[in-house]
Parts: sequence; structure tokens; C-alpha cells
Amino acid sequence: MSGLPRSVYLHVPFCRHRCGYCDFTLVAGRDDLIDQYLEALERELRRLTQPLEIDTLYLGGGTPSHLGGERLERLFAMLRQTLHPVEHAEITLEANPLDVNEPFVAAARRCGVTRVSLGSQSLDVATLRVLDRDHMPDDVRRASGMLAEAGMSRSLDLMTAAPGQTVTDVERDLEAIVSLEPEHVSVYCLTWEQGTAFETQRRKGLLEPVTDLAERAMFEAAIDRLGDAGFEHYEVSNFARPGHRCRHNEAYWDLRPWEAFGPGAARFDGRTRVTNHRSTTTWIKRVLGGHDPTGDRDAMSAEEAARERLVVGLRRRAGITVADFETVSGFTPRQLAAKSIDRWIADGLAVEEEGRLWLTRDGLLVSDSLWADVL
Amino acid sequence: MPFDCKHIRNFSIVAHIDHGKSTLADRLLEHTGTVEKRQLKEQMLDDMELERQRGITIKARAVRMEYRHKGELYELNLIDTPGHVDFQYEVSRSLACCEGAVLLVDAFQGVEAQTVANAYSAIAQDLTIVPVINKVDLTYARVDEVLEEMEQSLAIDPEEVIRASAKSGIGIEEVLEAIVERVPPPVGDPDKVLRAMVFDSLYDAYRGAITYIRILDGTVRKGQKIRFARQGTTHEVTELGQFVPQRRACEELRAGQVGYLVCNIKDVKQVHIGDTVTVPGDEAAEALPGYKPPQRMVYCGLYPSEGENFEELRDSLEKLAINDPSFEYSPESSDALGFGFRCGFLGLLHMEIIQQRLEKESDLDLVQTAPNVTYQVLTSSGETLEITNPQDVPDSGQIEEFRQPIVRTNFITPAEYIGPIMQLCTDRRGVYLKTEYLSPTRAMLCFDLPLAEVIYDLHDKLKSVTKGYGTMDYELQGYFPADLVRLDILVGGKKVDALSIICDRRDADRRGRAIVKKLRGEIDRHMFEVALQAAIGTRIIARETISALRKNVTAKCYGGDISRKKKLWAKQKEGKKRMKSIGSVDIPQKAFMAVLDTGQERT
Repeated sequence: MSGLPRSVYLHVPFCRHRCGYCDFTLVAGRDDLIDQYLEALERELRRLTQPLEIDTLYLGGGTPSHLGGERLERLFAMLRQTLHPVEHAEITLEANPLDVNEPFVAAARRCGVTRVSLGSQSLDVATLRVLDRDHMPDDVRRASGMLAEAGMSRSLDLMTAAPGQTVTDVERDLEAIVSLEPEHVSVYCLTWEQGTAFETQRRKGLLEPVTDLAERAMFEAAIDRLGDAGFEHYEVSNFARPGHRCRHNEAYWDLRPWEAFGPGAARFDGRTRVTNHRSTTTWIKRVLGGHDPTGDRDAMSAEEAARERLVVGLRRRAGITVADFETVSGFTPRQLAAKSIDRWIADGLAVEEEGRLWLTRDGLLVSDSLWADVL
Repeated sequence: MPFDCKHIRNFSIVAHIDHGKSTLADRLLEHTGTVEKRQLKEQMLDDMELERQRGITIKARAVRMEYRHKGELYELNLIDTPGHVDFQYEVSRSLACCEGAVLLVDAFQGVEAQTVANAYSAIAQDLTIVPVINKVDLTYARVDEVLEEMEQSLAIDPEEVIRASAKSGIGIEEVLEAIVERVPPPVGDPDKVLRAMVFDSLYDAYRGAITYIRILDGTVRKGQKIRFARQGTTHEVTELGQFVPQRRACEELRAGQVGYLVCNIKDVKQVHIGDTVTVPGDEAAEALPGYKPPQRMVYCGLYPSEGENFEELRDSLEKLAINDPSFEYSPESSDALGFGFRCGFLGLLHMEIIQQRLEKESDLDLVQTAPNVTYQVLTSSGETLEITNPQDVPDSGQIEEFRQPIVRTNFITPAEYIGPIMQLCTDRRGVYLKTEYLSPTRAMLCFDLPLAEVIYDLHDKLKSVTKGYGTMDYELQGYFPADLVRLDILVGGKKVDALSIICDRRDADRRGRAIVKKLRGEIDRHMFEVALQAAIGTRIIARETISALRKNVTAKCYGGDISRKKKLWAKQKEGKKRMKSIGSVDIPQKAFMAVLDTGQERT
């Protein structure tokens, strides 16, 4: 499956500060680079030889809201030269609750933003402090209300397994989030990434991860509470009210082609995933110098792509429809991994019924241990 | 112009590891113009990649130099020897081809265990010793004390010791002069019937077996027919020559000389180290006494991770054995690991080297079981069994006597570490024999220890308790009765034969506990609980549990995340390849080494 991409990702690498757990592509306290960044982005967009009609646009980061209303409008003016969102396109912006104020929301509306993903993480003061976040619970409430009033669709991030966090803390956070009535919730379990301040402190014994028993309980609490509140659990970390799934992310998981711009951004043409250089300054230098800013290339054979499709497909709660899977990928799941699939089913980790294959909750919770046999 | 015996000197250099043997050899090659300075790379004679990497010499090797002394031209043959205790037998082989040995001692480190062991080997073979104290220009050199140690331990006259620094080129001329003046020329008559000793062989993909020889009597010429006295085979010499240090062909080799023969021998097994080269027919010279065959001290199982690679593994082992007759292997099978080979090695270093070469030279994923020494069992029916695999231990009812190898171990150490070494050895059921002082500050301790206790980690422990200053060397004394048992390990209720060990009954509880504890750390969590047990016979003596995996799922999988994640999963998959599934439990390679854990925070 190829054709022209109908989704575009834009990476905005600026943040007020870097949180201790974060290993994303970003620069903190380098606002002096923003103008160069915008210039480079304009240059990189010229890679598109003709205007692109798109269904979804996603501005992630970093903190795109850190640009501020004025520069956001400049950015969108530039994007409109080459990117043409269709009517009812989904245009998502990631935002720090502290950046959400009346002028900013107004600017975002003028830009056509339809959806805001709020980096809320928690509504508990202690947890926010542990996570190194610069906002307070009230900032989240205020931002969420303001966005609702402006008619934006809201997604709230909830982080679990922060050091010192208990299952009760998570349950309390879930209540708080549900009470804000967002359209979408993403639940992320903290991961300890190489090179982060958290990981360094963990090694020194200054921070302690929660046990995996607690991690599981927290995640299950999220699945149960959000389910009760009418959210559909549609992918490992994502929950949506009916009709409010993130269409942009669904394009990733369908392995549809998408375009991407900015440092560390990855694009996909249906077979090959190309990732830009992760360093913001290197990316700027290369783009402005007329050089290729790409870093990694992940080129897949038809079979490799099918294997990847199986993995991302099974990370979705609905799993895969066997017949569709074969039509799109050219392989049946059993051609790829019959032995593993049979074992998962026997062990209660997966179910196959009426032409559909999906992971049970038990399977989903340990799914990373399954993929080595599939890829 | 052929060299007569009077103008030939054959010598080797013996030293403790890191005392500068390879540097001295490099310097001699350079000084005699054998190798030009610009071609000189470090460790000229160590041409195996592994040797350079690890800074050690594994195989014996020979090189010819020319040196002019008092107007006369001499041929000097340096026969290089390995320094590690594992390869002691190669040392004695090389020494048998020499008349002299340069004994090299580091001016700071002083006399060490292998200095003594190697010097004794040389003296035992009646070689003339040319003592050299190396690195005299070091700031910390303690020349006078080291000279005293040499006198105390080896009765070397301080007057005779040449002060040198191979690194800075000090004393090199003196060393060369001493070799000519002090080392006796070989005795041999080029006109007598050919008699030469095979001291090594090597397999070359293009020429077949390359046979290293030292000519005792007679002359060998290109095109001539020769006969291996023991093997009883006759061959035509297609090429012969010397090492300079690359192979350089010549027309003939005469009594006293050292060189190589190429005889179009495709199977290197036809060349026996220690064999005698002579002429075919009635005139043939009598065979030389030959060498003691090398003794395999350590055994382990090598299994392909993928069962279907068994034949490939066999081919690879055969290829390795071609160049290393001290390594032996025979097929065996394990319930846990399937079909593989039990392999015998000279020691742990040898084992490590073979395993590295196997992985380097063939693209095989291997599972290696923990090494064990050879045991002897005297059965009630009066039969003596050699046990190279714990699985072969008969039922306790059939054992009359269980014997283990005991080695006499010499430690050389600064006097302040005598206490810790005593502790180290008594913890390992060593029997104290004596202490001798080499100088007021350095001593030699002697213990009889079970080999099993020596090979696993004694060297590392020695280094740690003596801050790196202690050295050791050992020699097999024989097999002696001990109260030994087989300790079995069960994973998920199933006995894993490859994890069984033999140990002293008094240590069994402690080791059983230590092993299951260690295994708990080595085996990844599974979707289900995994029980780990240690048992003697049917009696369980220790247990640990690996709890089931609760949560393992990547949270973020957007855009480029999957490419990064896939790399991680691919790595896990690679890791899985080196695992063995027993029942439904994946056991990684490292876990098979867990049984070496002694369970003692012994000093």
C-alpha cells in the first residue's frame, strides 16, 4: 500500500526545560534557535514538490506550544503553502498547560487546530514534583476548561509508575482526569531511558522504580477506571470516547504512508522509514547547508513490513482482521508466526475468533516479550 | 654459505608474563637487521590476532637472525615460547630444541612464579641460562633487590646478569654477545644420517602441513624423501626454509639449524609433534624420545544453540584441532542441550581461547557448559573410570573411591600478603607445605590444592588479595581420594544435566544455595513462575523461585518509535539464540557458568 501520504508530523523541539525522565529530541533554553528552526523547516518542506492534501497534521515535541501564539501563526502560514488540510481534518497540537492562555488558544483556533494534547501527566502535586514538571494541578484544570470552551478536542496525558507513586495515587489521578471530561486520555508508564537524569539517579540509588507488580496494578487501574467512564481502550496507551480516537496515530498503526519534518522526525513511504538527525542543531545546519538531514533508514522487505504490521496491529485492542491483514500485507499472520500464535492462544495471551486475532489483557501487558518471536 | 654448528646458536626467551619477552624479541630482530624498523610492528612474533589482542603468546614459533660477532657471522635461532601455565608443555617442547635460554626478569616486578617454573624447566633440560634483568631504566626499578631474588631462588650469580631495557634498547648488544659467547653451539654432524625433531606444526590452506623442525644430525635438501619415524610415513620435501620471520625457502637445512618443511601433507594429523624426521630405508636413524603428550586438565561441553548446526560445529572443531593438538573433543549428548561435544583443554585460558576462535572463525552460536576437571572413580568392581563429565559419575553405591587431581602450587608474593594467601588456600582445602624467603620482603609459598579450586578463580583472587603483586604457578601431583558428590540442578522441576557439578560433600549445601541464587539472576522472568532447585540424589538442598513476568509493554509507539524498538527486540532475539529451551524455560549461556559460583565471599 502506498500512494501519497495523507498525514504529516511536525517536530517542534523546544522546551522551557528538560524533565528528568525525558529522552526526546528537544533543546531546552535555546529559544535563540527558533528563528533558524523555522527557516530550516521552510527549507525542508520544499522536499514536497507539490502541495499535499492531508487528513491529519500533528505538531509534537518538545513543546509546540512553547512557540507562542504569534510564531505558531507564522508557522501555520508557512505550512499552508504546501499542506492543504481537507475539511474536518484533524490538526493536533501538543501543549504544556502553562502555555495555554486566551491569546494562545485564539491563535491556535485561527491556525485551524482542532485538538490539543495536554502534557498534564498528573493532577497530584507530589507526583508532578517528582516528575520534574513545571506546572501545578490547577494549571491543568484551567487549561482543560479553556480548551473545552474554545471547542477543541482534548487529550490528557497521565503518567504512571513515577518513583514513589502508589496505586492509590494513580487511582486518585484517574478520578481527577475523568472529572475533567476529556475526549481522549493517553496513559504512559514511566520508562527509564539511557542518558536521562532519572536513569543516572537510579544507578546511584537516588531514585527507585516502582515494582512491576505495582506497575501492572496501576496500568490495570487505568484500563478499568477509564473503561467504566466510557473510554474505549483502543491501543496500549490510548483511550478515547467514541469517535475521538487520534486519527493521526491510527495512520501510523495502519502503516499508511506519512510525511514528517523537523529534527528527529520519522517519515514513512509504506516500506521505508526515514528518521531525521536527532540533534536540533545538526538538523538545522544540514538543512540550511543544503545537505541531507536524515539519520536512520529502516528499509523493510514486504515480509518485514508484514511482521511489523502484525506487531503494531496486535498492540491495538481490536487486534487484526486476518483477511484484511492478508489483503494489505500479502501474508497471513500464521505464515509469519504460526508457532508463536498457537502458543499465545494456548497460554491465554491471545484469542482468535471469527477471523480476528487479538491479545488478551494478559497478553497485552507482557506483549514486548512476544515480539522477539515475530520480528 | 652454509653455517656450521660452531656458528649457530639456538635459544629461547623465558619470562613471566608481561616481563617484556615480546619486546625483547622485537628488539633482537631489529638490532640484527632481520626486520627493518619501519616494518616492525609490536609483538612481531605473535601473529595470531588473538595473541596480539591479549598480549600473550599461544603457539611456539621460530625465527632466524644473523649476527656478526668478532668478525664472524652467526646464525641465531630464537624459538619463542608461550608464557602461560596452560601452555607449559609447549615451553618444554621448545626448550628441547635449544641449547640456551634467555631468562628475563622485570627489574620492578622481580622474580615471579612463572620465572621460577620456566627457569626450572630450562635447567632441567640442561640449557645454559643467560639471565637478563629488564626495564632497568624504570624509575621504580629495584635492580639490586631483584638480583638478590634471582640469586636466592635460582642460584644465579649477580655478576652474570645483563642489565637491559628492551623498550629503550639498553643492553641489547650485550644480550646478543652473551648468546654467542655463553650458549654452547649445537652438537651435530651434517654428514651423518638425517635426524630432526618435530617441535610444532601448522596448517596452511595452500601448502598443507608446515612442519617445524630442529635438525640434530645430517642435512635435509629440497626434493629429498624423508620419513617420519613414529608415524612411519614417507614424503617428499617440496619446500624447506627458515623463518626470517616470514617463511623463506632455501635449498638445504643442516645439523644444528631450525626451520620448516613442506611435504604436501594434506592432513596435519599425519604430523606428530615430537616425532623424528629421518630418511626412509635401512639407514634410518633411531627415533628420538619425543615429548610427553599434553595433559588435558579441564573439560567442558560445547553445544550448538541450534541443534541442526551439530555437523558444522564438528567441522569447526576439527579445523581448530588441526593447529592445536593439545585440544581434544569427542561427541556427547545431553538431555538438556542435545548433541554436542565434550572438549578437553590444557587449562582455562586455553579453553577461553578455543571458544573465542571458534566463534570468530565460524559463524556459530555456542552454548558452553561450566568447565570441570577430570576425576577418577574406583568402582566396587575394581574398575577405574576417568570422569570428564559429571553425568558419568556412577551411583554412590558403586563408588569405592572418588579421586580428584591435586596440584602443587607455588605463590610468589611480597611478604605482607602471606596471611591473605594462607587464608585463600585453607578456604580451598589446601595443604600447606612450606614458605621460602627470596629476599627479606618477598616469599614463595607452596601448597597442595585441588585443581578444581585452582583453575576457576584462584588466579583472580590472588591478584585481588595481593593488589596484583602475587603470582602463581602449578604442577599436577596426581589423583587423590576425597569425599566428593554430584550436585544436580533442577529448573522448573526438570533436572538439567548440563548444570550438574562435582564438589566436596562439605561444600555441597553452600554451593547449591549459591548456584540457585545465581541462576535466579541469570534466567529472565517468564510468563510463569520458575522453580530452581539444587539436589544431591533425590534430596533437595536449596530452592529459589523466579516470579512470573507481570508487565512488559512499550508505552509509546508513534512515528519513528517502532524502528528504535525493533532494534531492541532484534537484540533480544539475538540473545535468545544463545539460549537453550529446557521444558519451556529459556536458559541463557551465562547461566551455565552460574555453577562456578562458590557461594563464599572468600577473600
